[in-house]
Amino acid sequence: MKKIPRHILTASLLTLFVIAMVVYLGLNFRSMKEEEPIYPGPGVTGREMLSKYCPSLEGTSGDTEIYILDSGVPGASMLVLGGTHPNEPSGFISAISLIETLKPSAGVFYVIPRANNSAFTCNDPQEGSPQRFTIETAGGSRWFRFGSRATNPIDQWPDSEVYVHASSGQTLSGSEIRNLNRAYPGREDGTLTEKVAYGITQFILKHDVTITVDLHEASPEYTTVNAIVAHENAMDLATLSLWELEDVMKISVEASPKKLHGLTHRELGDFTNTLALLMETANASQGRLHGTVTPEMIVTGQDKFYVRAGRYGALTVDFPESGIGMSERCARHLTALFEFCRAYDGPAGAIDPGDVPGYKDILTNGIGAYLASPK
Amino acid sequence: MDRELICLLVMLAVFLLANLLAKLPVSISMVLGAVAGALAGGQGIPLRHLFEGTFTYLDTILIISAAMLFMTVIQESGALEALNAVIVTRFYKKPALMLILLMFMIMFPGMITGSSTAAVLSAGALVAPVLLLIGIPKEKTGAIIAMGAIMGMAAPPINIPALLIAGGVDMPYIGFEGPLFFITIPCAVIAVLILGLKHCKGLDIEKLKAELDLEIGKKYGFRLYIPIFVLIILLVVSKLVPSLPQLGTALIFLISAAVGCFTGRRFNVWEKSLSAMETTIPVLGKLMGVGMFIQVLTLVGARGWIVVSALSLGTVMLYIFSCTIMPAFGAISSYGAASVMGVPFLLVLLQTGGSNDIVLCCMLSFLCCLGDLMPPTALAGNYAAQIVGLKYSPVLKKCVIPFLICLAAGLLCLIFSGSLSFLTA
Repeated sequence: MKKIPRHILTASLLTLFVIAMVVYLGLNFRSMKEEEPIYPGPGVTGREMLSKYCPSLEGTSGDTEIYILDSGVPGASMLVLGGTHPNEPSGFISAISLIETLKPSAGVFYVIPRANNSAFTCNDPQEGSPQRFTIETAGGSRWFRFGSRATNPIDQWPDSEVYVHASSGQTLSGSEIRNLNRAYPGREDGTLTEKVAYGITQFILKHDVTITVDLHEASPEYTTVNAIVAHENAMDLATLSLWELEDVMKISVEASPKKLHGLTHRELGDFTNTLALLMETANASQGRLHGTVTPEMIVTGQDKFYVRAGRYGALTVDFPESGIGMSERCARHLTALFEFCRAYDGPAGAIDPGDVPGYKDILTNGIGAYLASPK
Repeated sequence: MDRELICLLVMLAVFLLANLLAKLPVSISMVLGAVAGALAGGQGIPLRHLFEGTFTYLDTILIISAAMLFMTVIQESGALEALNAVIVTRFYKKPALMLILLMFMIMFPGMITGSSTAAVLSAGALVAPVLLLIGIPKEKTGAIIAMGAIMGMAAPPINIPALLIAGGVDMPYIGFEGPLFFITIPCAVIAVLILGLKHCKGLDIEKLKAELDLEIGKKYGFRLYIPIFVLIILLVVSKLVPSLPQLGTALIFLISAAVGCFTGRRFNVWEKSLSAMETTIPVLGKLMGVGMFIQVLTLVGARGWIVVSALSLGTVMLYIFSCTIMPAFGAISSYGAASVMGVPFLLVLLQTGGSNDIVLCCMLSFLCCLGDLMPPTALAGNYAAQIVGLKYSPVLKKCVIPFLICLAAGLLCLIFSGSLSFLTA
């Protein structure tokens, strides 16, 4: 029998190994497409897809669900955006909590839990993040994806070296071209990310949404954290809410910078009549200072390096040894949302979230108590 | 001792042992370092993370591959020889001016693309034969190209490390041109004059003419330069008119290379392309190894350890770290240095009174760009050496003095950023 040359044998074996790896890792990558279940609660009265407001999104990874919680009592409306950045999970979990437990008494709530749906299907390279984390609920543990800050490159690629924001001409790093919160007000014929932003803007225009709140997180060293960022039109609402919120948490109000374009608190305020607000909590799994990010760490928010960095004065928030957990971060988001509803006194009428937990309730019982049990 | 520090030491030790003792390629050594770090960190062999880490450099790898093909095409078509003849015969009487103009030529693609590799492989490849022809030794020619490419990468309008740092703190990329020109242009001029001026005084044009191919330009005329113009026009238009569909730098290089196949001397495109890719694969491998290395560095928490340890040292040490550790991190990736260290460093430096955020960001990005000279990746040095047909060590040795001058200039501007506020107007 003719002997196979050694270099051919080596090359063949290596090729087989690479094929096996590609198949295995490809399946692992595809598993991120599986959506975590959301169990609509008693307050949910309808569900739409974002593609209704930007038809070219239909059938793409950018299309996403909009949950409608209509009290039946005329009043103001609020749009809550979770999952603009799927690596900032407290916004996503807070949005799910609203869908599963809120039963409003006046006005309408609209909730988009996965605002950038595509970004839930990948992780950010070089961040070493886990793909999933779990939260304990009364009826067992539930899993959620920990995604990327930006749209999956499978859905939108290549990035240009520099991202030029369409309506303002502002230049940003090329990777920001896949960042939903740099794409507003969006373009109907733009990139996938711009189409998602366009769909959300059109939704606000068509429903004349009174208040829009975009839920985010930031690394504890970031300058805007534990804060409400408000468009100038929403500044009165934010300030009024602050008076009440300061009784239970450390929080500040910051004005939306007029020269920083593409963000919800700037563009939705400029291009629609909505009162545009954005919330930031401190998330240790972001930023550059953290140690290993495990699924547990995402929930507990504990990190020894952030504790050390706090001692060196490198952080903008107090970072305790016990961490800044998911329950605290969600409590901040939810309490502020409910306070915006109470503080709103505009012409659209009242918006009442109904019987909702307070800040201390969520801290004491944990956010899992305000999520449905797995079915 | 922190577990994360142990992981870091294991990663570095395995990398060095594999590379220096076992004489394995840098790319394989980095993979082994990454795997060892993951094992030490209790992560097993994290296949997903190793694979995911490489994707940071996918675009860079495509650009490098396409640029190598472009470079090969313009060499083989005769465009390079013709261009050399034009430059030397026009400017030989004013060597200092000629050197400065050549330096700006090297910088240009870097300014447009934000990539030192693109600068080395396009303009660097065009200018290198001219520098060699006028008598500058190979290693100094390589050093001029490497320094020029880095200055181009740092110069406006596109400085990717600056964009990354600014993006990390939500700072609009506005007002960066002044400080970036202020630091890059003098550094580029000083570098090229230090390296090249003494070699090109009293040039003998007749001797040079004998070495130049004056015929190829006459034979093919203007059409020889069409691929170069196509490259410049597509690069500039894609930046000036962002509303047009973005071709991407890699595709622009490929289109220009394809055009070059029909504008000059005939050659075997398939054979030459294969040979070009063979020479570039080791560097592409390094980039993939680096991607895995950084991913595992973050996975095991060693990145956090490095950054927090740097922050613990106070403002004076932070300045020192900015001009030592940040460029050194370029051994792994200059973009990585900007993202990993640039953002937290900027946030801490902003707390020092009287500083200017834009100038600080520009100078930190400039120091990050210098990292493209750091081995083992040394992207700029690596390809500059390849162009002049040397290993990268002799080229990098010649870069030491201009590198130190740039480092000192960057550090001074960083310390006195407040006094340079007028540049941002």
